[in-house]
Amino acid sequence: MEVLELKENLKTQIIKYLNLLDITPEEIKDDTPLFGEELGLDSIDSIELIVLLEREYGIKITNPTEGRKILVDVNKMAEYILEHSEKV
Amino acid sequence: MYITDLYSISPQKTFDNSIFEGEVEAFFGNKYYAIEPNYAELIPKGLLRRMGKAVRLGIGAGMPLIKKQNDIDGIILGTASGGLDDCIKFLNQIVEYDEGTLTPTNFVQSTPNSIAGHLALMSKNSGYNNTHMGMGLAFESAILDAFLLFEEGEVSKLLIGNVEETSEHNHNIDTFAGYFKDTEITSTDLLNSNSKGSVRGEGSALFIVSKNKENAICELADVHQFTYPKDKDIEKRAIEFLEKNKLAPNDIDGLILGFSGDNRYDFWYNDLMNSFPEANVYTYKNLVGEYATASGFATWLGAQILNEKNIPNEAIYKKTNKSPKSILIYNNYLGAQHGFILMKGI
Repeated sequence: MEVLELKENLKTQIIKYLNLLDITPEEIKDDTPLFGEELGLDSIDSIELIVLLEREYGIKITNPTEGRKILVDVNKMAEYILEHSEKV
Repeated sequence: MYITDLYSISPQKTFDNSIFEGEVEAFFGNKYYAIEPNYAELIPKGLLRRMGKAVRLGIGAGMPLIKKQNDIDGIILGTASGGLDDCIKFLNQIVEYDEGTLTPTNFVQSTPNSIAGHLALMSKNSGYNNTHMGMGLAFESAILDAFLLFEEGEVSKLLIGNVEETSEHNHNIDTFAGYFKDTEITSTDLLNSNSKGSVRGEGSALFIVSKNKENAICELADVHQFTYPKDKDIEKRAIEFLEKNKLAPNDIDGLILGFSGDNRYDFWYNDLMNSFPEANVYTYKNLVGEYATASGFATWLGAQILNEKNIPNEAIYKKTNKSPKSILIYNNYLGAQHGFILMKGI
């Protein structure tokens, strides 16, 4: 999977998993902070994102410190998926 | 106890009181969905996007009341199923993902006490918080709980109410159990359908109740519940209930009956109605459908009748020349669980 395609898929999946009612994939930039003011995500969302990574990409994150480094923005998530997922 | 404020979200436009201006929704089929208000001003976006329907219905009806009177001492709700849709989604995930990592949101939303819990968190209320789940008597149990708390003298104002949602999952299961009509019918014809099964409804009705009469809309005077009565027991039990409240059948000038169009259970209402020939009679399940805590809506309707609101003709089953001052609500759920609620004007 091309990195651009992966990022677009990720944005759609983030919206679906977190039920972001009035946000479109186009509004999420690759470097938009996931936990900044723009998206307004919180700690429960971080668990939903961990579930997303496991279900969609077969990646299990068990170490919270590791999670904090990955769940930064779409760029970081895509980078980690490309390195660790066997599904892409 | 006295009702000082109330709010309902239902399949009718009750949230903005349009129903009293002649705007009555008609339905076709066996599901009556709630007409929900715009929650955007009431519920922060971050919370709203996670909320299941039951939680939305409860918060949407409860928060406008709490915003006006944030000095309540506790929250007591009745719901037979709570967020059942989220519950079944969560259970399905357990199977689908082989008990692996599960999303927390469905679980958090699915527990029946999540609604009262959300209300407490959003209003920073750390008082008594309880949710009753006795199926068709869950709302009556919530009222009884409030009476007991007032008797103990440790509270002076409470938020009480009922919440029930329709989900495709529970509708399908209940359809197999024969709860609903297998032919499509309009809400106008529901009560005269003379066939088995009813239609599914949903909604919430919440009330601020106070031990003080000041600013009261009406009195919620008493509640009684019982299960599996024998035929013809209803009249006897109603008279005993009224006697306990120093009333005779002639004192009741308004009856709100839970006729649901299900010919297996509607005879109970006919039996009781025949014992109160002088009373005005009102119905509500032709407006909002049948659900386990529908007596919550009946109580909302009772308060509106006692407050002399313009009750739509669709809710009037029999009209007399009396203006209701004392109302008896009688509801049964599937013929098994029966409840009386007594209301009085101020």
